[in-house]
Amino acid sequence: MNARLALVMACLFALTATSACRKKSAAPPDPLRRAYDVETDWNDPQKMIPLNYQEAQGKRLFYADCVWCHADSTPAGPSNRSNVTPAPPLMNDGATLNGESDEYLRNIIMLGGSAMGKSAMMPPYGQTIGEKEANQLIAYIRAIAQPPYQPSAKPQSGYPAKQ
Amino acid sequence: MAPEEMGKVTQRLRLWFAISSVLFVVVLAISPVKDLRHEWKQYKRAYVRYAESRPDTKRLLADYNPDIDQVWIPEMNVVDRCTTCHQGISKNSLADASVPQPFRAHPPIPHSIVNWGCVICHRGQGPATEVAEAHTTTLAWEQPMLPARFIQGPCGSCHLADRPETPKLNRGRALIDRLHCTGCHRLQNIDRPAMLGPDLSNVGTKVSRAWIYKWLKEPRTIVDADGNTVTNGYLTEEEPRMPFFKLSEDDLRALSGYLSTLRSHPMESSSINAAVLAKWAKNPETVSQGETRFRQMFCSTCHSLAVTRAGETKLIGGNIGPELTKVGSKVNPEWLVGWLRNPAGYLPHTRMPRYGWTDEDLYKVTRYIREQMVDPDLLKGVPALEQASPAEIKRGRELFLEKGCSSCHVIEGVPPQKDFGPDLSALGAKNVSQLDFGQSKIPRTLVSYIQAKLTDPSSVNPSARMPKFNFAAGDLDAITTALLSMTGPPATSALQHQVVPRDTPTFTAAGAFGEVYTRYRCYVCHKFNGYGGDLAPDLSYEGSRAQRAWLISFLKKPQTLRPTLVLRMPEFNMSDKEAATVADYLKMVLQHPAVNPDEANARASTPQLAALGKQLYEVKYQCQSCHTIGSGGGYVGPNLNNAGNWLTPAWMEAWLKNPQALVPGTIEPRRAFTPQEIQALTAYLMTLRHSGPAAAAGRGAQ
Repeated sequence: MNARLALVMACLFALTATSACRKKSAAPPDPLRRAYDVETDWNDPQKMIPLNYQEAQGKRLFYADCVWCHADSTPAGPSNRSNVTPAPPLMNDGATLNGESDEYLRNIIMLGGSAMGKSAMMPPYGQTIGEKEANQLIAYIRAIAQPPYQPSAKPQSGYPAKQ
Repeated sequence: MAPEEMGKVTQRLRLWFAISSVLFVVVLAISPVKDLRHEWKQYKRAYVRYAESRPDTKRLLADYNPDIDQVWIPEMNVVDRCTTCHQGISKNSLADASVPQPFRAHPPIPHSIVNWGCVICHRGQGPATEVAEAHTTTLAWEQPMLPARFIQGPCGSCHLADRPETPKLNRGRALIDRLHCTGCHRLQNIDRPAMLGPDLSNVGTKVSRAWIYKWLKEPRTIVDADGNTVTNGYLTEEEPRMPFFKLSEDDLRALSGYLSTLRSHPMESSSINAAVLAKWAKNPETVSQGETRFRQMFCSTCHSLAVTRAGETKLIGGNIGPELTKVGSKVNPEWLVGWLRNPAGYLPHTRMPRYGWTDEDLYKVTRYIREQMVDPDLLKGVPALEQASPAEIKRGRELFLEKGCSSCHVIEGVPPQKDFGPDLSALGAKNVSQLDFGQSKIPRTLVSYIQAKLTDPSSVNPSARMPKFNFAAGDLDAITTALLSMTGPPATSALQHQVVPRDTPTFTAAGAFGEVYTRYRCYVCHKFNGYGGDLAPDLSYEGSRAQRAWLISFLKKPQTLRPTLVLRMPEFNMSDKEAATVADYLKMVLQHPAVNPDEANARASTPQLAALGKQLYEVKYQCQSCHTIGSGGGYVGPNLNNAGNWLTPAWMEAWLKNPQALVPGTIEPRRAFTPQEIQALTAYLMTLRHSGPAAAAGRGAQ
């Protein structure tokens, strides 16, 4: 009798000793509160879009250099968009920009409109900003796109997991 | 003992021996099993399984190591084992959101994770090997990870200078500066400015006791359509800087009584002929002319006024000076005249320039302010206040010291109190056990402590002397971020080398220019060699940029170069001599070394060259997308209609070559113009003069 009890005790002891206390994971926190920065959806002022570091830097560059022609209102008043012909695309215009590859966007930012067979009114920024900044801008453009940007089917660097 | 009995014992002993052997083996096994079941080992195995489920297994497991991974930075005193579990942190192919944590790659950031580890930015316990101990506060480990929204705080522990990449931190630092937290607290890398709150030595000449009472009770000036004072935070910087002090009725009476007796020196009295005054007073247009003058002087560049449109009250104007919607009901009329004539006569450190008003202008503008910028209900609810009694004055003076007023306000004869509040210069590095939470029920973390203190200081400590500020949610987080960045001096000298210091530029203007510069407070809006405000263009190289004659005419009558600009340079009524002094100084001293005037000025311009420049401007480069010439074009850049009279050819050439070299961060992109194109564009721009296109073309040909 005694022996069986001791055995059971030993097993219990071993069990409690080995099983590490594992806590269940908490609910995922609100992405807006975790975001590096946020941007208001241009089409819906109630909706906020979370931005990561890369996109947040793109936002800063956008509001420094691009907002004057690629938005309908600017922090400093009326937009310059109406003074430019043909009218430049709005930067959140997903219908136009989602179809363009990252490489095309990078080229038109860095080399300017005339080099890409578009309006010369888009100046080249290749000597003003670097490749890194251009990628940040593209990340921002992708983040604010409406309708939302879906990365194309052919992956650029990611490897989808085997199912 | 009988042998059969012996056998029984042996059997029992055998049984016991067997059981204890099993027990022994089990106990011995506990340790290896426990070791095998370590949390981090489970993550290690899970990572291998995950990597094997993907096509790039080989690359993912190339640097796999079954033991603890560690980033060790001895010079920063950092041991960081986070990568033991976060094994894909720097693997580009694991960036996708579908990759399960803790294996997902970190989003792109400016520092290499392999070199810097994680805890420098995220805090938490680097050496810990269990999830809970690494991430949260436990009895033995006191630094929890920072909530992600304060992630810019640790940037500021090394980057003492502001970086454009960290807007929240910069906003928090700016708010700490603007709200004069340094009046009471010692803070890291934020110096005490020359003037905090206004000097009160002479406040009795400016406002009545009733107004002081009202202001101390409710330091707010703006009222919305329903008559409620606006207390919605600094989001739009609408709030005055004066915080709420919880003052009893007796305290309010005593302090207002004491302050209303402060009259250290009388205001300059105006000596205008009574007959002339009577004549001006009869003019029915006086008030409307005063309003016109007020607008012409661009007072709104620094001061805001509340405007109610469609039931919504909004402040319009700048925030350098105080909001003025009801100032006519606030200040004494004689004080107002004296102040506008010479602000430094009342407040030596004021940022208000000394305008060259004529007596008649002064009369009209003060009439306008006193009759239009008023609110008859401003002092509603203030009890009848008599002359202050000696007991009230004595008590008021005591209160002034007790409440810490002298940390921000100067009164002649009252010693200033530096470091009235606790030293916060290393608050961001404090452990929870070092904080006094009192009886409050808030979570025991540094972040919740800071936020509770900022929201309502008495919620943590009922006897706190700190006044109450009203912050918008975003600003609360920004200030928290800035406070978290203040982790005290670096722990090691090696760490000192990692710190990017904040530079503190100074600019001293001497001589005749110094007098004009001080009188008109140029530095409030303009920057000179890094020193000054950023509302208006940086003038460090203005001497290279602008022509002398243009500078003089601009100073005499400023015209806006950018049509969309709302806040504009005021008209100071400068004398010819003052304008010439400024122009000469700018031309002599504020020059850019890369702009060589002789070379460009001597270059001959031909009509052909100018025509080529026009062609380049309009067709090849289409500069009209941003600049206006004639009546067409964009308004991102300045209007170029008068470029030939405004800019020097040398500046144009240097600018076209590399605008960012002259003005870092300017919007104008750098283009790859050939030297000939630069000369042609310069020649064209020099033909653009206000006197009409035909005359300009003729002059350009010379």
